[in-house]
Amino acid sequence: MARWGMAADLDRCNGCGACVVACHSENNISTVGDEQASRGRAKHWIRVERYWEGDFPDVRLKFRPVMCQQCDNAPCEPVCPTYASHHTEDGLNAQVYNRCIGTRYCANACPYNARFFDFFNPSWDKPLQLQLNPDVSLREVGVMEKCTFCVQRIRGAQLQARTEDRALRDGEIQPACVQGCAAKALVFGDLEDPESHVSRLARSPRGSKLLEDVGTQPAVTYLARATQV
Amino acid sequence: MDRRSFIKLTAITGTSATLASCGNPENQFIRFLPDEDIVPGVAVWKPGVCPLCAAGCGLTVRVMDADADVMRDGQWGIVRIAAAKKLEGAAGHPISQGGLCARGQAAIQVTYHPDRITQPLKRSGDRGSGQYEAISWDAAIAEIVQRLNALETAGTQRALALLSRGRTGHRAVLTDQFLSRFGARGAVTYQLFGDDVLRRANGLSFGREQLPTPDLANTRYLLSFGADFLGTWNSPVAQAGSFGHMRQGRPGIRGAFTQVESRMSQTGANADTWVPVNPGTEGVLALGLAHVIMAASLHPASAAGRAGAALDGWAGGLANSAPAEVERITGVAAARVERLAREFAETRPAVAVVAGPPLAHSNGLFTALAVNALNALVGSVEQPGGLFFTPQVNVAASSKAGGTAAASGASIEELAKGALGGDVPQVLLVDGANPVFTTPKAWRVRAALGKIPYIVSFSSFLDETSILSDLILPDHSFLEGWSEGAPESGSLSAVLSVAPAAMRPLYQTRATGDVLLEIGRQLQRPLNLPWQTFDEMLGATFAALPSATADVDAWTDAQAKGVWTGTVPGALVTGAAAAAPAAAVAYAEPVFDGDAGQFPLHFLPYPSSAFLDGSLAHLPWLQEMPDPLTSAMWSSWVEINPVTAEKLGVADGDVVEVASGQGALRSAAVLSPGIAPNVVAMPVGQGHQSFTRYASGRGENPVELIAPVTDSATGALAWAATRVKLSRVGPPDGRLILFAGGTREHLEEHR
Repeated sequence: MARWGMAADLDRCNGCGACVVACHSENNISTVGDEQASRGRAKHWIRVERYWEGDFPDVRLKFRPVMCQQCDNAPCEPVCPTYASHHTEDGLNAQVYNRCIGTRYCANACPYNARFFDFFNPSWDKPLQLQLNPDVSLREVGVMEKCTFCVQRIRGAQLQARTEDRALRDGEIQPACVQGCAAKALVFGDLEDPESHVSRLARSPRGSKLLEDVGTQPAVTYLARATQV
Repeated sequence: MDRRSFIKLTAITGTSATLASCGNPENQFIRFLPDEDIVPGVAVWKPGVCPLCAAGCGLTVRVMDADADVMRDGQWGIVRIAAAKKLEGAAGHPISQGGLCARGQAAIQVTYHPDRITQPLKRSGDRGSGQYEAISWDAAIAEIVQRLNALETAGTQRALALLSRGRTGHRAVLTDQFLSRFGARGAVTYQLFGDDVLRRANGLSFGREQLPTPDLANTRYLLSFGADFLGTWNSPVAQAGSFGHMRQGRPGIRGAFTQVESRMSQTGANADTWVPVNPGTEGVLALGLAHVIMAASLHPASAAGRAGAALDGWAGGLANSAPAEVERITGVAAARVERLAREFAETRPAVAVVAGPPLAHSNGLFTALAVNALNALVGSVEQPGGLFFTPQVNVAASSKAGGTAAASGASIEELAKGALGGDVPQVLLVDGANPVFTTPKAWRVRAALGKIPYIVSFSSFLDETSILSDLILPDHSFLEGWSEGAPESGSLSAVLSVAPAAMRPLYQTRATGDVLLEIGRQLQRPLNLPWQTFDEMLGATFAALPSATADVDAWTDAQAKGVWTGTVPGALVTGAAAAAPAAAVAYAEPVFDGDAGQFPLHFLPYPSSAFLDGSLAHLPWLQEMPDPLTSAMWSSWVEINPVTAEKLGVADGDVVEVASGQGALRSAAVLSPGIAPNVVAMPVGQGHQSFTRYASGRGENPVELIAPVTDSATGALAWAATRVKLSRVGPPDGRLILFAGGTREHLEEHR
């Protein structure tokens, strides 16, 4: 059984935000508009965080793309009263939308702020609905949603490999953010396979996990931006 | 009645009820007819070309079935069509190499935008009122033909003008041919953040009047003067890819990166060393480095050749550019000048690039020439890890345009001045440009357009310029017709992107190239353009190029892949510009509009990550994409250094007024440590009066503060040469919307 993971090389990431829009496009994330965005209801399954260090003129800015960390020990799962938030065999923190009753305990428990609540039914001004991806279900009002590692692409590739009677190839599955990244900062793959690209990156001496000390055991490794001597 | 006949009866009554309830019963059946060659539920991937900037990235378009309310065979109805679903960077494309920027990802919303113009429109109300009535294509074309025939009869063909964004490629050649064969003046091209100064400098320094392609993937030291090459400048997808390789793509080698600018850009945030510099003095710093390199005999002055000769005092070792003097002018410490010079000269290979704000001053050409000479001095031109120039296909030659090329057109400033002074064009065609939004108020472009009796736009949206037009002939979206790109940069070998339609047009639109060809045929003196359709023109070019794949001709191959790349046959290469420098250029202090006492701050309007010059503000995904440096969405803001803000009593989020000699606006303050205390910056893109439901009436347009200062050598707008003052108006009023990582604590604070 695979264990899906990601690596984000912060020495390659330049903060452009292509992953953010790629994710909206792939996962049918509705835009909420200015009014609702000002109330904190915008949904971005992946975001680019920024960390300012120092004062002018010795100032530095670091970017970090943050999505659901698909934790092995996920705080969002045990708090869910309906098992909508649960762990799959291949290590994803999955969300069953039609089980979710909107308690939002999971969002409270998540230390990464990676979960978003649907305050409304999604809507698209016609004909923007034509852009919708038929492989991804729409989320209705009262439901939590979050990054799925593009599970539709994972299952699609697995099906394809099965029909062709072969094993999945490393790099064959690319979530939308990984696919769109021009800098190739994001790498996705199977952490169980020690030879996969993502496994090799996860062992990098530059690697660390986000908020590692809270014990969530994330599946995303961040490779620190190198400093020039 | 048995069960079987009951079901039959219900089915029949149900159907007849449905049929009786609508006017055109066949509409209800249209959807059952196979409209397009597509299998329900099965995705196919087709090539495409991103239209949003000049980079010419190749796309892969995911096409699947979808139910759309469209007009087919003269009838509206819900039809199952083949619809584009997602855009991705094409893996084999030499520019995009599988990646795509945020803007490109959102390009699909151009096609599905709810406020797209769906058919030809004729103005029915006052100019600017936005009132239009439908008109048929035949009637619309007849109207233009009549107008143009009238010019011909009166012998005033020069009263036809065309305004565009200055695109390269076949569309530009076609419009040029149209204008020159008709006898009109050359096309007027304008882009707020255009690169004309850099092109001119490259022509003078290297004989190549085009944008450069820095070989980032192979360089070990990158020195950038203000170029936002990872965000908005030139070919950001190609540059982001090669920059990633420069950092982590070579085992054991990590290229170093120094950025020189007065406000930290998204690109600058990635630098190892960030060097703030006084606005307009970047060229002095470049010459300071050259001085140190020559003085330390690391490279002789002669090594720079022609690029060095373009600068005053070069052969003498730039005696006036000693580090102490450079420190006095630029604000960069002398010791740092020495250190940067040594790093640049001693790390091999190294490359310098310049673009953006440093060239948007009255001395922009000097600055570009200085950086060019620095590259030439250390031998970084046309060398691995250095600066290259992408070979260009001469599209006029390859498409067998014949005829004479149109004379180069006037500038938009000259066009406006002429129209206001009595030299009024009688017919103006507008293709893609929105100068009413992007030109300084002092040029009075809106008033000038008001003098022109007949304006025709090919726009798909009502923006500030197209809303002034008398006739709108909407183009297809890039997914609905032939799309092409002739990248000026981004690859070491020549590239032409091309793709057939990925889906059928949703509306009654027509490809602008075909419309121009049709008009040319219908004129009383037909223009005899050598092609019947736009794709015939494309086909002519690709037939003249060598195929990349054996056994397949280049045209078929390019259509399948979405791109042609290879060696350009000698006869079809765009020749080098021979313009030699007239006289050596010396540093002149930058000229700023506004008295330093009254207007103490430099004003830096910059292309926003989401909207570039504002032409993409109508796309909701980009409106809601948090800005990389501030996390702002759906808003405008002003960036201020915290020290300056404290002096002025301004807190984060406060409403402030920014005033220049040209005007004033109010916006929200964002305190940012990444900006010099004597500079304030604003992203361009918001502040549209008319640009669809998502952009209209939102935020502020900083262009309204820009003074009409130009680069003295090229006449290009010096958009960073305005001084402003800033004052607090009031507390935060909710106009600034931040995503800020979605932290609940942050929101509670602001409740």
